[in-house]
Amino acid sequence: MPEDKDWEAYKVPPTRTPVSERITSVPNPIDFIKTVFDYVVDAPVTFVREWIERQQAKNKFYYYHQKFRRVPDLSECLEGDYLCYFEAEAQWRRDRMVDQEIVEIVRERLGACKQREGPNQFQNCAKEMELLAQVTKAYQDKYGDLGVHGNARTCLMKQKHRMMEERKKQASASQ
Amino acid sequence: MAVMSLLLRAAAAWGARRAASGAAGGSRLPWLAGAARLPGALAPVRHSSSHGKRMFIIKATSFYDARFLSLLKFYILLTGIPVALFITYVNIFIGEAELAEIPEGYIPDYWEYYKHPISRWIARYLLDPPEKDYEKQMAILDIEAKKTELRMMELEARRLMRQRGDGPWYHYETPDKNLVDNSMKSTPDN
Repeated sequence: MPEDKDWEAYKVPPTRTPVSERITSVPNPIDFIKTVFDYVVDAPVTFVREWIERQQAKNKFYYYHQKFRRVPDLSECLEGDYLCYFEAEAQWRRDRMVDQEIVEIVRERLGACKQREGPNQFQNCAKEMELLAQVTKAYQDKYGDLGVHGNARTCLMKQKHRMMEERKKQASASQ
Repeated sequence: MAVMSLLLRAAAAWGARRAASGAAGGSRLPWLAGAARLPGALAPVRHSSSHGKRMFIIKATSFYDARFLSLLKFYILLTGIPVALFITYVNIFIGEAELAEIPEGYIPDYWEYYKHPISRWIARYLLDPPEKDYEKQMAILDIEAKKTELRMMELEARRLMRQRGDGPWYHYETPDKNLVDNSMKSTPDN
């Protein structure tokens, strides 16, 4: 799964390590270990890595992320046009995977918020909780009880039923 | 062989008992001053300083196993080492691609969507472009869809012709009506 690129959403507070004054005259062994590590491990590895990068910088080339076009939806396909059905089905599956990842990311953000806040989580994470509730409700409405064999057609039928019920509710509410 | 060693051991024990009884008895010949010996039972051996007594260890043959493993290693490394060197060369001197945003008005070639240079090479020279692959897929689907349509139409035609009986199918040969003998039905009282 690709990682969440938006680090700002995690709102990690800056570390407040205090600067302490020396109270002993014994030198800090960490400094010694650090210098040894720098000379023995860090310097050769950095040297080799930079040499490799100099070799690679002579001919640079790039790769891109492919952007796929949107194709006509299942509701815009003529009946019996199996090619259109196939493309719409593939697009619906890709969209469902994207929606699953969105829900997963929102869940992770809530989890990070809870971990960060600790005992204050019920007050400070209210926005993330609200967002997760909305997102999961929307996902459940759209893809919810279709089951493992759900496809674009069953999802469209579910949407149709939802719209019918909405209309019935509006009609009964306006009376 | 086990029987032989048991025999030798029994002989050595008997010899030792004889020697003990003889020493307790009194006069002994000087060259039997050590333990009494049977040929091959007890012999003084000069041990070398580092190895200890040389033993002939009897175990099952490992010739075939060793030969198999040696051949396996040889044939795996025969192509494995050149491939590993080639991949190391590619990774060090050519390196992987960097991710970049698609520039304005530029349509990348289909191999430029891969990161590793060997993947790019395979996509460019060995595999078909994904557009062609997609068209092949769509062509298969189209042919199968047309076949399905034709088969459904044939079934429908057959059903209707069987039902209505006015089509060219479902004609069955019946005997000629001039050959039928109606004499038994010619009078009403038969």
